[in-house]
Amino acid sequence: MSVAHSGSADARRSGQFVGVIFVFIVLLVIAAVIGHLTLPGLAPVWHFLGAHPILNALVKAVVYVSFIALLVLFLIWWERKFAGWLQARLGPKHVGPQGMLQTLADALKLITKEDITPAVADRPLFYLAPFVVFVPTVLTFMVLPLGPHWIAQDLNVALLYVIAISSMTATGIMAAGWGSNNKYSLLGGVRAVAQLLSYEVPMVMAVLSVVTFVGGLSMRHIIDYQAQNGWLILKWPLIPAFLIFLIAALAELNRTPFDLPEAESELVSGFHTEYSGMRFAFFFLAEFANNFFSAGFAVALFFGGYLGPILPGIVWFILKTFVLITLMMWIRWTVPRLRIDQMMGLCWKLLVPLSLVVFILAAAWASR
Amino acid sequence: MITDTTSRNTMTVNFGPQHPSTHGVLRLIVDIDGEIVRSCRPEIGYLHRGLEKMFESRSYRHNIPFTDRLDYLCSLANNLAICQAIERVGNVEVPERAKYLRVLMVELNRIASHLVFLGTFATDLGATTVFLYAFRERELLLDLLEAMTGARLTYNWIRVGGMPADIPEGYGERVIAFLNQMRPRLDENDRLLTHNRIFRARCEGIGVLKREDAIAWGATGPVARGSGVNLDIRKAAPYEIYDRLDFEVPVFDEGDVMARYKVRIEEMRQSARIVEQVLKTMPEGDIQTKLPKIFKPPAGEAYSRIESPRGELSFYLISDGTPNPVRIHIRAPSFIHLSLLQFMAKDIKVADMIAVAGSLDPVMGEVDR
Amino acid sequence: MDSLNGHKKEGYLSDFVNGFLSIFKGMGVTFVNLVVRPKITVLYPYQRLNVAPRYRGLFWLKWNEEKQRLNCVGCTLCAQACPTNVISMNKLGKGNHAGVDEFDMDLGRCMFCNLCIEACPFDAIYMGPTYELASYERNSSVFHIQVLAQGGAEAVRINNETIKAALAAEAEKKPAAAVHTAKEG
Ligand code: SF4
Ligand code: SF4
Repeated sequence: MSVAHSGSADARRSGQFVGVIFVFIVLLVIAAVIGHLTLPGLAPVWHFLGAHPILNALVKAVVYVSFIALLVLFLIWWERKFAGWLQARLGPKHVGPQGMLQTLADALKLITKEDITPAVADRPLFYLAPFVVFVPTVLTFMVLPLGPHWIAQDLNVALLYVIAISSMTATGIMAAGWGSNNKYSLLGGVRAVAQLLSYEVPMVMAVLSVVTFVGGLSMRHIIDYQAQNGWLILKWPLIPAFLIFLIAALAELNRTPFDLPEAESELVSGFHTEYSGMRFAFFFLAEFANNFFSAGFAVALFFGGYLGPILPGIVWFILKTFVLITLMMWIRWTVPRLRIDQMMGLCWKLLVPLSLVVFILAAAWASR
Repeated sequence: MITDTTSRNTMTVNFGPQHPSTHGVLRLIVDIDGEIVRSCRPEIGYLHRGLEKMFESRSYRHNIPFTDRLDYLCSLANNLAICQAIERVGNVEVPERAKYLRVLMVELNRIASHLVFLGTFATDLGATTVFLYAFRERELLLDLLEAMTGARLTYNWIRVGGMPADIPEGYGERVIAFLNQMRPRLDENDRLLTHNRIFRARCEGIGVLKREDAIAWGATGPVARGSGVNLDIRKAAPYEIYDRLDFEVPVFDEGDVMARYKVRIEEMRQSARIVEQVLKTMPEGDIQTKLPKIFKPPAGEAYSRIESPRGELSFYLISDGTPNPVRIHIRAPSFIHLSLLQFMAKDIKVADMIAVAGSLDPVMGEVDR
Repeated sequence: MDSLNGHKKEGYLSDFVNGFLSIFKGMGVTFVNLVVRPKITVLYPYQRLNVAPRYRGLFWLKWNEEKQRLNCVGCTLCAQACPTNVISMNKLGKGNHAGVDEFDMDLGRCMFCNLCIEACPFDAIYMGPTYELASYERNSSVFHIQVLAQGGAEAVRINNETIKAALAAEAEKKPAAAVHTAKEG
């Protein structure tokens, strides 16, 4: 394996150019999709900005992306702090109060770092991969009901949309694994795809249990149902559905015990071994944004979403999501990693049959 | 070692010498077929310093600090082994109290070494938290060793014919307090790691070393005892005061990664028992035999073997009556155990190979010398 | 050894359930560490731990308040005991009034093995608690007597004066010896 990192300056510049263009296109796509909608919560702002649909949509896209970026900054800090406390350490401490600004400092460092491209990399794939991972993540946030009036696009097939969009991440990871032209990356990419595709099945079955139970695919419908009948986690056929969802979500997020694609002790850093600087930051961003989304999705499906007394809906939603994220971190920092065949066995021999049973139970319960 | 490099299906991957999981600078050249390891060849020598040759140009006493750099996780065991060899060739008597002190220090060091194993092995399997818990305990232990020797890693605290200094004031109580804290923490570790279903799935039945193979390939220490070979130099050929102490040698028959792990965990408990007995029964008295300034043992040869945390550590020493040894050879257990990898890590998954390599607990300073 | 046993073969489902329980137990352990146990981090450059009294850090040469000189007599026993030739010195004076005016230690080679300390018959050299000895240049790892001596350069100056004065006093008694010392100095 050649280790020369001698990508010419031209290629590097053009790579950056491609990246910028790509992000821009992404923003446009987001804008186009949610463009003709209104975010009722931000109605005065939209009035102020005028009724121009493209401008309106662009602003919303920017708002969403920066919301995600801020969220991720906070999440990374919280993960590091939590892991630190759990491991009898203190976690970040130096930059800002309790190290709050440490992530910001790290982000700045990553931006200013040299963007190294391996000489033998498959350039288009290598350059595009981080964005291909990042974009679906951003797109999924579109249907996340942050609050009663905070839902960018209340699609009537929201769940279907989420499942379809979020599985696109696998493409990006595969591209990263292949494009890096590194053996560790390749192994990591292969593992990631196998894992993501397999765990999609129990995840979808768990979500479908909820759908059959509630009788609708729209987020608002599910939450309205919970407003009338109590949280779905309290309905007994859905308790195993939640557990299956949680395990599958951990696997989708590549978190220990399912962190095989980036298993440090085996594959150095898995599919993002060769990435540095901003591209690496994008992988990181996508990972944590995905984490927030999965937890938020689970909250919307099982824990009543933004429902809650006194406090405004969005506060409840974020609170519940953070509790769930913390639970995921707690699992992550407790258990060792599975082996690839055990990981697949757990999925196909246990979770898939179990999720089918749960699905049937949920359907039977719903049709009573 | 034949590697099938012509096959289109295999891909050769280097694990190490710079890799997050390898212990030190071990390099494993691995042919993988997808996720399956077809052959695994350890490549050593990245830490070679020519210590055995260096020994020949230095006097006996000058050589002791260099042995710290062999198995740096348990440097007192190396000190003890070379000092025993020198004492044997020079017919030096060691005072009673010094013997007790030696055992005390070596056993404490054994616990520290096994704690490192616990931490690194758990990290190999992805349980990073255990690493920090293990090192938290080890840090307290290193404080104890520092209070005694003044150093935290390369102690150099055993001399030809005794020990350089006695234990400091109140040392026994501190050690007992530490042991009393460590034991519940070990039980806690069992709950966190040993009984964890994922950990068991990763360890049980993996990298099985059969009893015959263990004997044939010269495995010693925890690796042999994990394969059902009841061999512990402390019992088989007692040195210092081990014949007077009451302790058990944990032996497990499975021969898998889990068995080796369990042997080490149990050894920590047994070492704690030994330390307590030593502190209780230690006699008063001298700790160092008077020796001439320039130490010239008579011509001859000597062989010393001790049970280091990694296995049987031996020094073979030839003297010709001059102040410098003619030859010192080291039988390093890690070196011998590494040769087991080529058939233990065969036709198993990549992740298992990491676990198997970790369960041998090699220290490269000792392998390369 | 009982705590390590007890892994028996189980059925498919009970294995699954027990597996889950074992993970919850593990999470209990991490929870205890999260909430109850003290955090052990020491914020190093701001907080420091005290090292043990026997700690083997930077060397120092003992100052003898009574005689107004360093204890070291320049006998080179420590240099001989050192396996890596760290120590070099320049002897000043002789006989009863022997001392050193130069004492260099190239700590880039030192193993902090304690052998030199044990070799010294005059209680002249010790290892102290200073441990931050890293430097950017190789030359900075050579420590001179001005740094090593207890009391610093001032102590070395007084040490040299004391020894020279003692030698001079002796030379007055025995003029023949004075010529010899002057040649050497
Ligand atoms: S500590 Fe050891 S290596 Fe350092 S000067 Fe003293 S004898 Fe030499
Ligand atoms: S330090 Fe001690 S051993 Fe070394 S020259 Fe001075 S008196 Fe002699």
